[in-house]
Parts: sequence; C-alpha cells; structure tokens
Amino acid sequence: MLKNWITIFLYHLKNNKLFAALNVLGLAIGIAGLIFALLYWNDEQSYNAWNPEKEKIFQVLVEMADGKVLANQPPILKSLLEQDPEIETILFSKGDYVNDRIYYNEKSVELDKIINVQSTFFSFFPFKIIKGDAISALKDETSIAISEDIAKRVFGDENPIGKQVKVFYGMFVVRAVYQIPGNSSIAPELLIDRIGRDFDSNKVQRDIFNFKVFLKLKDPSKAEDIKKKIEQIYYNELTLNNAKEQGITPDEVIKRDGRIKIILEPLSRARLHSVVDGYPEGRGNYQFLLIMAGLSVLILILSIVNYVNMATANAIKRAKEVGVRKIVGASRGNIISQFIFETILMSSFSILLGLVIVELGLPYYNEFLEKELIIKGSEFYLQLLVIFMITVMVAGIFPAVYVSNFETLKVLKGNFGRSKSGVWLRNGMLVLQFSIATFFIIGSHIVYQQVNYLSNKDLGFKGDQVMSITFTPPASDYYQEAPLLQNIFNRYITIKRELSKIKGVEQASTGIVKFGDGAMSSNVAYKEVNFQGQNMAVDFGMLDMMKIKVIKGRGLDEKFASDTINSVIINETALKMMKEKNPLGKEIELLGKKLKIVGVVKDFNLFSPEDQVPPMTIFHATSFNMSYSAIRRVYVKLKGDDMENTIADIEKLWASKVNTEYPFKYDFVDKEYARTYETYVKQKNLFSLLNIVVIGIALFGLFALASYSIQSRMKEIAIRKTLGAETNTLLKELSKQYILYCAIGFLIALFPVYYLLNKWLENFAFRIDMTVFPFIFGFIILLILTLVIVLSKAYQATKTDVLKYLKYE
Amino acid sequence: MIQIKNLSRVFRTEELETKALSEVSLTINQGDFVSIMGPSGSGKSTLLNIVGLLDSASNGSYQLLNQEMIGLKEKEKSKARKENIGFIFQNFNLIDELSVYDNIELPLIYNKVSSSVRKEKVLAIADKLGILHRLKHYPQQLSGGQQQRVAVARALINDPKIILADEPTGNLDSKNGNEVMELLTDLHANGATILMVTHSDYDASFSQKTILMKDGMILSEKVNNRNVDVLVTESKN
Repeated sequence: MLKNWITIFLYHLKNNKLFAALNVLGLAIGIAGLIFALLYWNDEQSYNAWNPEKEKIFQVLVEMADGKVLANQPPILKSLLEQDPEIETILFSKGDYVNDRIYYNEKSVELDKIINVQSTFFSFFPFKIIKGDAISALKDETSIAISEDIAKRVFGDENPIGKQVKVFYGMFVVRAVYQIPGNSSIAPELLIDRIGRDFDSNKVQRDIFNFKVFLKLKDPSKAEDIKKKIEQIYYNELTLNNAKEQGITPDEVIKRDGRIKIILEPLSRARLHSVVDGYPEGRGNYQFLLIMAGLSVLILILSIVNYVNMATANAIKRAKEVGVRKIVGASRGNIISQFIFETILMSSFSILLGLVIVELGLPYYNEFLEKELIIKGSEFYLQLLVIFMITVMVAGIFPAVYVSNFETLKVLKGNFGRSKSGVWLRNGMLVLQFSIATFFIIGSHIVYQQVNYLSNKDLGFKGDQVMSITFTPPASDYYQEAPLLQNIFNRYITIKRELSKIKGVEQASTGIVKFGDGAMSSNVAYKEVNFQGQNMAVDFGMLDMMKIKVIKGRGLDEKFASDTINSVIINETALKMMKEKNPLGKEIELLGKKLKIVGVVKDFNLFSPEDQVPPMTIFHATSFNMSYSAIRRVYVKLKGDDMENTIADIEKLWASKVNTEYPFKYDFVDKEYARTYETYVKQKNLFSLLNIVVIGIALFGLFALASYSIQSRMKEIAIRKTLGAETNTLLKELSKQYILYCAIGFLIALFPVYYLLNKWLENFAFRIDMTVFPFIFGFIILLILTLVIVLSKAYQATKTDVLKYLKYE
Repeated sequence: MIQIKNLSRVFRTEELETKALSEVSLTINQGDFVSIMGPSGSGKSTLLNIVGLLDSASNGSYQLLNQEMIGLKEKEKSKARKENIGFIFQNFNLIDELSVYDNIELPLIYNKVSSSVRKEKVLAIADKLGILHRLKHYPQQLSGGQQQRVAVARALINDPKIILADEPTGNLDSKNGNEVMELLTDLHANGATILMVTHSDYDASFSQKTILMKDGMILSEKVNNRNVDVLVTESKN
C-alpha cells in the first residue's frame, strides 16, 4: 500500500514541481517562524525553572506613592526581619553587577558580573558546586566563589580552591567554584560578601535605599502577612521618624508623601512578569515574547491555509484516481489515510527545510534578540513533534476528507473538473488569508510610523558628535575616607584640561547622568509639594554642550561662586509640579540641603522616548559631596572633522591618565540614547520582514487558487468569447469575486488590527494617533496586489484557444 | 446470485422527479452472461450502478448472494464491492499515474493480500490476457484495446463473483472491440457471471440473454441463439 501511495505521490511531485516546491517552502517558513518563536519562548520560560526554591523566594519591592516601583531597600529591614519566625532565610545583596579585573600570578581577566551578596546566597540560588563547598564559600570578607567559566579562564587546569587572587583593592581566597544549572535571574561570575561592611558604613543613613532584599519563606502562602509586616516596619521607621523630626502627625506625613506599599514578588515570576528590573540579569520582554509567538502562529496558519487550498484545488485533478480506487475497493478510510500520508510526507520535508532555515537564521536571530539560543533539548523535540502533528492534522484532514467525499459516480462520468464542491471552503480560506495579510500590512505600517515618530522626535537635547566616555579612575581613588573622595573630581578636572588641548575636541564636561538611563533619583521638596525628582549633578558647560535650552533665568556659570554650592536649575515638569509662577530665587530642598533656583530648562527626554519626562533638578557636582564618587562618564563634544584621529588621541590620554588597566570604552550619546528604544526598532524590523514573508505566502496562495479557479471556468470563458464577449468584460467577470473576498478579508481584520495596535501604542507616552490613512493605504496595497495577480492570470485565460475547450466534450 | 425485486430509483431535483427505474425485477444466476440494451435514458446504466453498489435504490429489494444490499452503510457496501464485484468501464478508468502493474495490483492491496501473492496473481492474470510485456508501461502508452485488457485484468484479479461491464467496447474500434468481446466470452466460458450494458446488438449477441429497457422498465427479455458461434473457433457450453 505504502509503495503504491509513494508512487502516486512522486508522480504528482514530478509534474507539479513549482507548486509543490512553493507549497513546501511556504509551510517550511511557517514552521521555521514557529520554531524561532519557540526557542525564544523556551529560553525565557526556563529562567529560574531549575531553581527548586523558586516558589519560596520573594524579592521585596517598594511601590512609592507616585506608583514608581523600586527594588532597593534600606538596611533597617535586616534586624527587624531576622526575628520573624515565618522567614527561613534572608539575603541582602548590593545592587547590580560591578566590573573589575581579577589577577592571578601573571594572568588577569576582565569580569563584568561581580556581585556583592551575603553568605546565604547559595541557599537562595543553589548553584551546583563543583569544587570547594557552599558553606565556606563566603565564610568571611576575603572569601570568594567563582563560576566554572572564570575558573577555567583564570586558572586553566589548576585547582582554584585556596588560591589567592587580587580583585578591586585586595587579596581574596577562592573557596568554591560553581556551575549555574540553567538560565538564572542572577548569574554572576564572581561572588563576594562585603555586605557586613556596607551595613556598617550605612549605619548613619539607615533609610538610604541601596540593598536588594530576598526572603525565603517557610510557607509561601504567608507572603501576604510578611508583606503587611514590612509595610508596618516602613511605617514605624520612616513615617513615624519623619513625623517626629518635622513635628507633624504621621497622618500628615502620609497625606504629604503618600503611603509606601510593599510588593513581594516570587522568583518564579521575576523574569517575565516583574514590575521592575529587580535582578541583575534584568527582565524578559513578555509583550515582545507574546508578539513573536502570536505572529509566528499567524504565519503558520497562513501557510497551512495555503497548503489546504492548494491540496483541495489539486484534488480535483485527482478525482478520477480517487473514484477508481473506490471502485476497486478502497474505503473512505483508505482514501483519507492516503491523503494524510501525503501531507505527512510534505510536512516532513517542510519541517526539515524549516529546521535548515532555523539553523541558517539562528545567528542573526540571536543577534537580534541578544541571546545565545541553540537547538537542543528533549523538550524542544517534543514540541517539534507536536507542531508536526498539529500541522499534519490541520493541513491533512481538510483535503483528505474533502477528497474522500467525492461521489464516485460523478467522478467517473467525467466533468468533475468544473465541480463547485469545496469552492466555499477554498474561498473561505482565501478570505482568511486576506485577513492575515491585511493585519500585517496595516500593523507594520503603524509600527513603522510610531518608531519613526520616536526617532524623529525633538528630544530636547542634541547628542550627535558627543562622546560618552566611561570614566573609571583606578580603584585607589575610591575606598578612601570622605574628604579624599575629591580625588576623583580632581582627576576629572585634570582630564578635562588635557582634553581641551586635543585638537578636534570642542568641549568637555561631565554629568552624573546617562541619557536614556536617568540620573539620581530622590525626593525634592518645595513648600508643601514633594516629588521624586531625577537629579543631575553636572559640571559647567554640560547643558550648553547638550544644547539643552534655558527658558528662564540662566544656566550654571563659573562666574558665580554660589553655583558650585547651592544653585539649582529645574525643568518645566518640575516647575509645573511646584505650581510656582516665579521660581527664580525660590528655594527647594534636596537630600537635606536647601538649593536656590537660578534657572528653568525646557523639558528634555531623560528616559526612553516612550516615557514621560520626569521632574528634574540640575546642580553642580560639587554641591554634594557624594556626587564626586559617582562620576562615571565624561562627555566630549567633537569638532566635525577628523574625528578618527581625535578619538585616537583621547584614547591615548585615557590609557595614560585615567586608568591604565581599564579598557577605553565610549559611545556617542545619540547612539547610546537610541538604544533605549532599540526593542521597538527591532519590532519594527521584525514586522517589516514578516510582512514581506506573509505577503509572499498569501500572494502565492492567491496565484495558485486563481489559476485553478480560472482553469475550471475555461469552458465558460470559451462560450462567452464565442458569443462575442470582449476581453475587458471577461476580465471584469473573472476578477470581481476576488475583489469581493479581498474586501471581506480586509473588513474582518479591521477590528483586531485596531484593537491590538492601539494596545501596543499604549506603551508610549509619546505616540502617534491612529489615523485612517494606514487602513486606506493597506486596502489599496492589498487590492493592487490582488488585481495584479488575478488580472494577469485572467488575461492569459482570455487569450487561449477557444476551440480547445469547446471541443473537449 | 442476484435477485432484484420491484427496484425503483427516483432522481429528485427541486422542481421535478424523474423515475430512472420503476419497479424493475430481475434474476441473474451463477454463470449467466446477461446484456442490457436500450436507448439513452432508459435506466440501464442506473441499474448497473445499483447492482455495482455505486448508487442506491429508492425502493425495492436487491439481494447479492442472498444478502440484502439496500440500506447497507457505505462501509459495508465498500466491503461487499471489493469482495464480489469487478468493473469494466467504457472509458477504462485506469489511473494514469500508475503503471499497468500497479493498476492491476490495486484491488489486491485494498483486500490486504500479501505482496508476494500479489505479484504472483498479477503476473498470472497478465499472462492470461496477453499483457505481460506491458506491465511496466503507463496507460497512456497503450492502445485502447490494450487499456481495456488492463481494465479487465484489474476487474478479474480479485476473482469477483460477478463482472459488471458498462459499454466495454464503446471507446474502441471494431477490431479492438471484438477482442474485448472475445475475452468476455472466454471468461464466461470459464464460468464467470457477467452483466453488461451495451448499445450494440452485435456485442449483445455474445451474451446468453438480452434485456431490453425503456423508460426505466424492462420491456423484454430474450434468449440469444448461438449463431455467432461461427466466429468463435472453439465451441461453448
């Protein structure tokens, strides 16, 4: 039986090479799309999945009165939570990864992911310890644990346990080497525990939010109780203290500052459903993941629909074969099996070709997602099998049942080619294809418009030709007592002087800010008004260099001695919040210090252009002691000509005067800023690419269907022609139904497109309005493409020999 | 072998009813060679199709091998068909995409005959019908007569209880037509039961009994005398 089926299958394959190839290709693209989405999906979903504690571990997040969620907590929580019987363990960690070099003998390796955590770390993230042990790994301040990869790079084949290495400022002993079992929200290269020392140095300012806090609960269902307890702690420690200090009632403090809410977020939700980037590896983009999955399913549906359409249209040609098979004893089941078997073969080719496409496209895809996905794992192959079965079921069963229902008698009497049976199914599918194509054409158009709008938006600053150079003074500049922190600022001043000597440098300055990423966040008070401001410490000339406009008063100026002590500039948003008509000369309070407003700047985008402009204050870096140590970037504006040599000169300067060990890293501000909405640019590119694929598949489907349907109407065309119909009339007759389907498909897609794209646009504080234009444009494009295909096919038909079709019977 | 009693077949469209068969009764015994004649629209093809279980009757009774066929489900019909009936058509109805060998083999596949037995049987029947040298060819490469031989081989391969032939010579020239008729006569001589629809008196004269139909009814039945035996070299019965 199989041999017989294969013979027939091969025969048809040979005789319909082009259609078969396009069909397989279409299906392969659909499957490849789904595989791509699946790889991404699996990778994201696997985050922390390996961690047996994931349901018991919670991160403490604070929701401020303005709705902003912070992951950082003050150290006071430690002593107060330690006594709680519901909490099994607590883990304090210091913020994000830091980078430094690690030295061992002659060797040194650059590390990007060093994290400072308490020794309880391994009970929260039970990495596999391959050398040493978890208990002594962080037993004191001089112990460190390193990842397997780093161990190999630093020590080669040597056993790292007990070896001394130099990191930061001192010597450490390697106590453990670990391997991270899977994707983890914390995936450090080196663990160090200096939390105790950090606690001590923070004793004075107990309410500074700079630790990440993780709790392991004995019973996760008690999370709600713990949350209330922490809220109570916040109330006792912050609200009551503030009230006492300021001589007002706690209720007045709450009325003024709002109430702080606590969120306990389980580790299992940290990757895809978190409200904030609370972990050093960051969050996954769940929306983008859903978009990818959704679009890839749509494309697979499209290609399956194509397959079904082609198969049913083709089946008419095979009606006789089916009839004969039935006569000689084939049951309906036999016929269905045969056609499903053919689909299995086609799907197998497609899935193989799909895998080839994935294999070839994976490097680009990885670059696009900034991931390192690979095809592997039994789970993946299981999913692949499910995709295969679903494809076979959906793509195979329709045509098979359709064919098996042919009435033997009609078929064998001939003339079946003009049968109307199955036409509704094919036309219905055609409408569906038009809908999907509409969705993509309009969708990608709107996405394109929005992303274009973002990139052309007036940001309020100009970042072209401004280099943002990473400023990393040697470790010896830090870790000194407070007054000496000025080292760093002094070093910067020296560098600035040197920079001005370089030909090709127009201007240099600094600011504790990263455009797109924000500045320092803290409370700003003006009379009764409080707000969480973005506070930017700068050096003179920074605003001027970035072309940030002063609209009231003046900028910071060296001429005024007070400008290095207590002058401040605010932005329009802050002004609006302060509700003050004449801000100049008024005083605001920031970090316990009173500052006098000397100017107001026009709003500029500090965060990604999708976000609102926050209220801001701008002051000179020397106004606050702590600002010194926070200088991370030097901004240098270049002259237009010979930038290459200028940059080379700057690099030389860096190597000799800033840090001899740390590599020279820079970026242009405009490019750095553009990265904040990179994901949307990617979504735009993705949508455009898929748009081409989808339109390609849909047009091929239309072409095939039009060919078959016109073929089946050849006799009608011949009769009309003999009766004197002109080509124009014929063309109209042949194409009008497709225009109708095109219109129906378009209408069906309208609402989903409008709804989903509106939802997407809600991501943006600055967004385009949806106009009717993309819809009209989409319809016209769809119509033109349809007409081109159908008319060319129809025109061919009207030119054929009439006699051939009239003689036939 | 076949007993038909008061069989009717009515075709209904929205506006009118057409009686293709009305109250037809007919008996065919084992070893009979019966031909049905009549003008077009007389119901002869409808009768053949009902006998072949390709069409169903509106009323009446049709027993094949003492089993009632009216009202059977499609699946049972399909089973009864593949076990008992072989078809020969005017337009041969060979599958163009399959070789002669594959075409003949097809019924055996659906009857789940093992591959080695299939080969044996196909070779035997092809030898008998003189198409052994054509097994690797495709239907389009053969003459009409040869195609019909292949169709006959396919009809016979399952050793059916009855052979139904729908104008088997209709698409053939007289020489090839004659060959096919001789083939059927041979089969009959070896004990096959044959029911044949034809337009041609000449073809009908090969059979034992001719039934004449008109307007869905049987007009007459006549037993043929064997005056054509002259043309056949060996004697029959």
